[in-house]
Amino acid sequence: MNLFLRYIPLGLLALLLFHMLRNRAYKVCPWFFAYVVFGVAAGVARFAARLAYNHPGTYFATYWTTEAGYDILGILVMYELIRMVLGSMARRLWGRLMFPVSLVAGVGLSLSRAHAAPPQFSGIRYYIVVGEIAVRCVQSIIFSLLVAMVPLLRLRWRQYAFGIATGFGGYSVVALLMTTKFSDFGTRFRFLWGWTLIVAYSLAVLIWIWFFSVPQKQDPKPRAPSTEELERYQAMLRQYLDWLRRMRWRCFL
Amino acid sequence: MLSIIFVWLLIAANAVCYIYLLYRAWTRVPRRDIFDVVPFLHPVDSSMVESLLDPAEDYSLRWRLNRRAFREAQLRRMRVYRELVRRMSDNSAVLIEFGRARLSSSDTSAPGLASRLEDAHVAVQLYSTLARIRLSVWLSLPLDRFGLIPTPDLARLRKAGDLDGLKAYEELKAAAAEAFAQLTPDELETLTRSL
Repeated sequence: MNLFLRYIPLGLLALLLFHMLRNRAYKVCPWFFAYVVFGVAAGVARFAARLAYNHPGTYFATYWTTEAGYDILGILVMYELIRMVLGSMARRLWGRLMFPVSLVAGVGLSLSRAHAAPPQFSGIRYYIVVGEIAVRCVQSIIFSLLVAMVPLLRLRWRQYAFGIATGFGGYSVVALLMTTKFSDFGTRFRFLWGWTLIVAYSLAVLIWIWFFSVPQKQDPKPRAPSTEELERYQAMLRQYLDWLRRMRWRCFL
Repeated sequence: MLSIIFVWLLIAANAVCYIYLLYRAWTRVPRRDIFDVVPFLHPVDSSMVESLLDPAEDYSLRWRLNRRAFREAQLRRMRVYRELVRRMSDNSAVLIEFGRARLSSSDTSAPGLASRLEDAHVAVQLYSTLARIRLSVWLSLPLDRFGLIPTPDLARLRKAGDLDGLKAYEELKAAAAEAFAQLTPDELETLTRSL
């Protein structure tokens, strides 16, 4: 596969990082920002490791380590998305349950999939691949849940959270589809598999760029009251308590 | 085999979601102004909501009326409450569209106000969705027939999905009054009176 085309997503991720920095999106969605920074760093590390022809083990180690990093950050981003969309509702019982239920469903689906068609890897790589399929399942489930909330709760879909979910959702669907077909067709499907995933990931990054190209306002942190203000409130409270005490005595008289 | 079916279901659900998002991207949301907000709002009588959700009222009706008359009275009250919940939901949707159009263009403390309005809107929408589902189920069931499903008390609808409906709507009204404080007193008065 052409080396230049293989690294198109890296260039797009760098462009996304630029947009996020320009619009200060790291304040709105810090875990997704960490994911993008990691994506750029992982892409550069893989590129550098590939250039070290004499040490094939370096690329191998870099690839699998970064894959595990993508999985962990992918899950954290999903948690962040639910909190962003639900706002204060995320503190309610059903809001708190949404992420763990999706996670359990995704892991269960991945484990049963691995049982039905075991990945051709062993050791730690086996767990990384199973974890990756679980992350794709969780991303698909959360994308579906969030989009279902748009008509139900009449939410605004043009916000960062939905942009992130749309990108991940699309890529996850293609990845799940390709993985299913890969296990059906075997290694002769490898070429198409690789290309399709690169195109799908590039499209996901383009969706993110589209969403992050405009700034989104963030909530200002509530200001802590100053010492003078606290003293004033205390004096007012004392006056009010005195008044209550006097009123109580007046009632008895 | 089951896992493959679930994966395909997930893929199909995501495809439907993508089609829906494309549809949403294609259609435009109207940017509401104050002039096309008030005619779309339907007043919700808080005292009527309170009386419909009052457990004492349920108890009094159950005590005074026979079973058949109680069922008829409850069905009538359910239909009234469904209409009030629909109004709450519609008002919330109209207010949030107006709020998004107005607060996105202004500066200063708008983000905090906008987020409070969004939170109140989500709470009202969630409550009204869950309450309407329950009301639709109750209204479609043969209540009190063959002694299987007893006629429910309407007071049970005070809370749905861990949310107090009336409180959520009052919070929406307060958030709207705060968010649209920059309107002229007449406009604000008309707006709050229409809620």
